[in-house]
Amino acid sequence: MPLSNKWKTYWIFQAMGWGSFSLTNTFFAFSFQQLDKNFFYHLLIFLALGLMISHLMREIIIRAAILQKNLRRQAFLFIGLTLAMALLASYFKLETVEQLEILTSKDAQLLNRPDFSYWINKMVLVLSGGFSYFILFFIWNLIYFMFHYVTKSQKQQMDTLRLESLVKELELQTIKAHINPHFIFNSLNSIRALVDENPQRARRAVTELSNILRSSMHAEKAETVTLERELNIVKDYLALENMRFEDRLKVVYEIDEDTLDQPVPPMMLQTLVENAIKHGISKQISGGIVKLISVFKDGYHELVVQNTGQLNGKVNAEGFGLSSTTNRLGLLYGSKAKFDIRQINGSLVEARVQIPVEDV
Amino acid sequence: MKAIIIDDERLARAELKKLLLDYPEVEVVDEAANAEEGLAKIESQQPDLIFLDIQMPGKTGFDMLSQLEKAPQVIFTTAYDEFALKAFEVNALDYLVKPIEPKRLADAVQKLNASEIRDNRQDIISTNNSLLTENDQVFVKDGERCWFVKLNEIRLFESVGNYAKVFFGANKPLILKSLNALEERLDEKLFSGPTGNILSISG
Repeated sequence: MPLSNKWKTYWIFQAMGWGSFSLTNTFFAFSFQQLDKNFFYHLLIFLALGLMISHLMREIIIRAAILQKNLRRQAFLFIGLTLAMALLASYFKLETVEQLEILTSKDAQLLNRPDFSYWINKMVLVLSGGFSYFILFFIWNLIYFMFHYVTKSQKQQMDTLRLESLVKELELQTIKAHINPHFIFNSLNSIRALVDENPQRARRAVTELSNILRSSMHAEKAETVTLERELNIVKDYLALENMRFEDRLKVVYEIDEDTLDQPVPPMMLQTLVENAIKHGISKQISGGIVKLISVFKDGYHELVVQNTGQLNGKVNAEGFGLSSTTNRLGLLYGSKAKFDIRQINGSLVEARVQIPVEDV
Repeated sequence: MKAIIIDDERLARAELKKLLLDYPEVEVVDEAANAEEGLAKIESQQPDLIFLDIQMPGKTGFDMLSQLEKAPQVIFTTAYDEFALKAFEVNALDYLVKPIEPKRLADAVQKLNASEIRDNRQDIISTNNSLLTENDQVFVKDGERCWFVKLNEIRLFESVGNYAKVFFGANKPLILKSLNALEERLDEKLFSGPTGNILSISG
């Protein structure tokens, strides 16, 4: 909260508090028919001192940083301070009233009791007058502490929320930036071999690799990209893997053209395809097939990656790719998106993502 | 020096073969695209040296090595696999990262030549190929950790059921070979002992 706002809030609270106190008092005096000139003098003195001393109390709370201390000490200091301030206010009130010679007859009588000395009488009066100040300052402090407690916890909540969203953003960025170094170096090695053997293919491979590196480096701000864009990277990636695995890798695309404009989390399909190669094809001596399917089905945009291989439960469930896919879908779509991976027959593993289609 | 290249990528094999043309002392006699093929070709060609990729379909390079009775000189080739390389204890390891830097290859070949000369001097007496001599090395893999161990570094083989425990240095990994199988291949002059254990008398 800006300083001027804080100042304003404080004085509104002060005015409201002491204002309502005066109103109630006037109301009672009116009903008991004690509304005279002296009543108003007393009230004015009481109010002026109340305001001044409570303001002093606030200064002390701020200077001594009482709100920053632990709860036990806060409670002790709070009671002590209230008591001290109440006696102080009461003393000044008595002094003023005495100076102005408007002591109530009862007080004047008490002050002049012959059995005790003047100072003892005065102390008794200060103590009894301090009682009402104590009650008021106590309430004042309660409101003050409560107000700060609530604003503080609200601020903490806001901070926690902000932190959470920051963590999420960072998570997304690290996931996006992830690219398999094993793949990069193997590709570079193949390209070096191709420079002599098939220069045309080598040149194309450099372009493909550049595209992949660029897209993974531009950890894009956007939370989603169109499928078409994502698919371009995937195609480059698979072309490079094809160069490495040669006839051990066969790629099949089954893409419904209408799904090309659908938003998808960037690098998610790429991660799934990478997994299909890493855990599937690269483990098969005679290689296999990778099939990409993108269709609309039952209100979902369904992305499927199938690959030759065996699902090894333990390795797969803990793999970075799969947990990151689940996390990203959760962050973006809550529980509305689905992701599963399963063995669909003796030799095919299928990873399937279902993203809810937004109404147009 | 006869060499075999074992790598699942044809282009990677081609590239390494091309690099090795600069070193006439290394003669690439064959190549293999996976561990099974590699095992068969090592058996038939008896190479002095193999260039071995670690990540291959089916079995990894490590798995293949631990199936060999006697490991030839090995230079690992890998694209990027810090983890697998860390598994290694310091001894007798040479590896090249792909794409291979010609200078690193030159160093590796030179190191091989040096050890070849040293070993030859000691090996003159033992010409019997089927028996393992003290300068032969075996590849030992225990879980995540692996070692190349020369037989003269081994103090003791201990029989543990169908397996054997190998004692060398401060290590005693378990290997998946029975003591009987080992005994058949070991030179009697080197190892002898009471029932159950094979003791080294040379180390």
